[in-house]
Amino acid sequence: MSENNTKVQRNLWENPWGYVESFFIGIGLIITGLFLEVLNTSESTFTLSYPFNLYFLIGYVLILFVLYKWFSTTQLIRWLTKVPASISSITLVTLLVMVMGIIPQVTSENSLINNLGLNHITSNWAFLLILFQFLTCLGLISIKRILQFKWSNFGFILNHLGLFLALISGILGTGDLQRLSINVYENKPSWIATDAQKNEIELPFAFYLKDFLIDEYHPKLALIENKTGSIAHNNGKNLYLVEKGEKYSFKNFEVTVNDFLPNSGRVGARYEPVNELGSPPSASISVKNVENDSIQNAWISSGSFRYPYESFKISEEYSLVMTIPEVKKFSSDIDILTKEGERISTVLEVNKPFSYKGWKIYQLSYDDKMGKWSNLSVLELVKDPWLPLIYIGIFMMIAGAFYMFWMGNKITKNQE
Amino acid sequence: MTWIDFPLYSSIIVILWIIGLVFLVVSYKKQVVFKIANVLFVAGWAVMLVFVIKLWIELDRPPMRTLGETRLWYATFLPLIGFVTYIRWQYKWFLAYSIAMASMFLAINYLNPETYSKTLMPALQSPWFIPHVLVYLFSYAVLAASSIVAIKGWYDSYQGNFKIETLKLADNLVYIGFAFLTLGLLFGALWAKEAWGHYWTWDPKEVWAFLTWMGYLIYIHYRNFHAHNSKQALTILALAFVVLLVCWFGVNYLPVATTSVHTYTQY
Repeated sequence: MSENNTKVQRNLWENPWGYVESFFIGIGLIITGLFLEVLNTSESTFTLSYPFNLYFLIGYVLILFVLYKWFSTTQLIRWLTKVPASISSITLVTLLVMVMGIIPQVTSENSLINNLGLNHITSNWAFLLILFQFLTCLGLISIKRILQFKWSNFGFILNHLGLFLALISGILGTGDLQRLSINVYENKPSWIATDAQKNEIELPFAFYLKDFLIDEYHPKLALIENKTGSIAHNNGKNLYLVEKGEKYSFKNFEVTVNDFLPNSGRVGARYEPVNELGSPPSASISVKNVENDSIQNAWISSGSFRYPYESFKISEEYSLVMTIPEVKKFSSDIDILTKEGERISTVLEVNKPFSYKGWKIYQLSYDDKMGKWSNLSVLELVKDPWLPLIYIGIFMMIAGAFYMFWMGNKITKNQE
Repeated sequence: MTWIDFPLYSSIIVILWIIGLVFLVVSYKKQVVFKIANVLFVAGWAVMLVFVIKLWIELDRPPMRTLGETRLWYATFLPLIGFVTYIRWQYKWFLAYSIAMASMFLAINYLNPETYSKTLMPALQSPWFIPHVLVYLFSYAVLAASSIVAIKGWYDSYQGNFKIETLKLADNLVYIGFAFLTLGLLFGALWAKEAWGHYWTWDPKEVWAFLTWMGYLIYIHYRNFHAHNSKQALTILALAFVVLLVCWFGVNYLPVATTSVHTYTQY
């Protein structure tokens, strides 16, 4: 497969096809795809679901195998297993993905973008066609190296077959992928989920939310410009967490946090710890002006959905405010109730999903207006039967990456 | 120990490294002088490590969330890659480059005071966080090094003394960088499945990470089959790095940025 160094004048489409022909075919596929996009005005996207996607996969792999085994001398198959076809398809896939990386994938005001389908590249015919060529190249060379197996091909096969598996099962799997979300309220069973199109779907089991918990960081102190209302300190960076006893300096003010109450309510001129719905955090602060040594004391609070915030005007120019606390962790203590009367208890948390009967159940969100007093927890249910195949592909590529890291340099060294 | 101490630490590091670079420049054929340069580099790097470790402890979370924090890691990894490359292939100019680049990143951080934020949102609290980011940053540092090799190659060929060894060094670096890039991408996919329910959502950052991966894929395939077209290979390498830079810094400025889940700095 070494390059032809002696440049001979040859005609287009003369055997064997090189880069010019490869890009010709690739760009032809893209133009065809864009035409299909213009002609096809229906909104629905074309997807295959079970069992047709499985038939497609089996049929596709069989055809690739047959093509390689018995038709490898034909012009088309020889071209597909050679480098120009691979590089041109990698380049053109890259080009279309780049379009996706620049044009937001939502309905556009520009009618050209809408008509050519450049705002939905992943289901654009041009992308699907060039991806099909890419996968065909990838599949054929994987089959080629597997049939001519040598241990030195091991890394090659891991990388190429892994990518092929991950990509094809990812694409075909979208037809069977189910993503539902469900609103679960404290002390109430819920079993009606909704899909992306807002259709209601009845689950074969119910969720019972026993408790929804939010852990918060302490709020932060910020210096605000009175005129604009924007954060003045260090270009809006360097906000300090409110911590009892800490001293911070903002411009020429020294701020000491005398006291911090995570849940409090205003009682006369000060805040006292209380424990009721919507009680906001508050802090007692002393502000010392370094220029004239004057000291002022005040209480500030970030407020909540029930109570207003309270800032502290420290000069004509500036005020100190307390930001709304950021969420550290949120979790749902739930029971899953089955029709057979079973009860499975678990705690869901971000990054800690729970698997149940082919579903993966995720903590998605909550009522963010209510914050830590939310009694609503939003869960997500995902079923992706193609996942094992995708994972096989991904783990083959991970192994391939280690192989590459280890061997890559030796391979290039041995070449010369 | 926080970002407030950064000017002090970074000054110490940069001064040590600059003196080291001066020694390196005058060390032509004098091993003793070169050794002094190395001692200075290592000393600066040790101070760097102390700062990173103390910052990590103080923040109580891995310092990997913001651009400034990633620049810090970059400044930590580059000298390491310089040392290893020197031990392995004896490139002095490359060692000098990596130290100079690391100093530059420290200077950028000095000029842009960084967020002093201890908070870490729930989606980032995962065992995947550290491997995902570290693997990526290491890969970016190695690939940046490979693009510097490309620039040297261009320069050499204008001077008319291009050596194929230069491209071989680029190959070595790209192979290592690409292996780590693949790992970063796949770790990201596995993590996304745990955190967001799907391994691939074509989020803008994912799109550009994929494009970066494809860019280096083109380079590797091109190099494998056209071992002597050095100019084209160097061009591909430079373009791939441009895509990497878009992925790293540029995504935030593209029209697609608003839909990204990878923007973690709201202030």
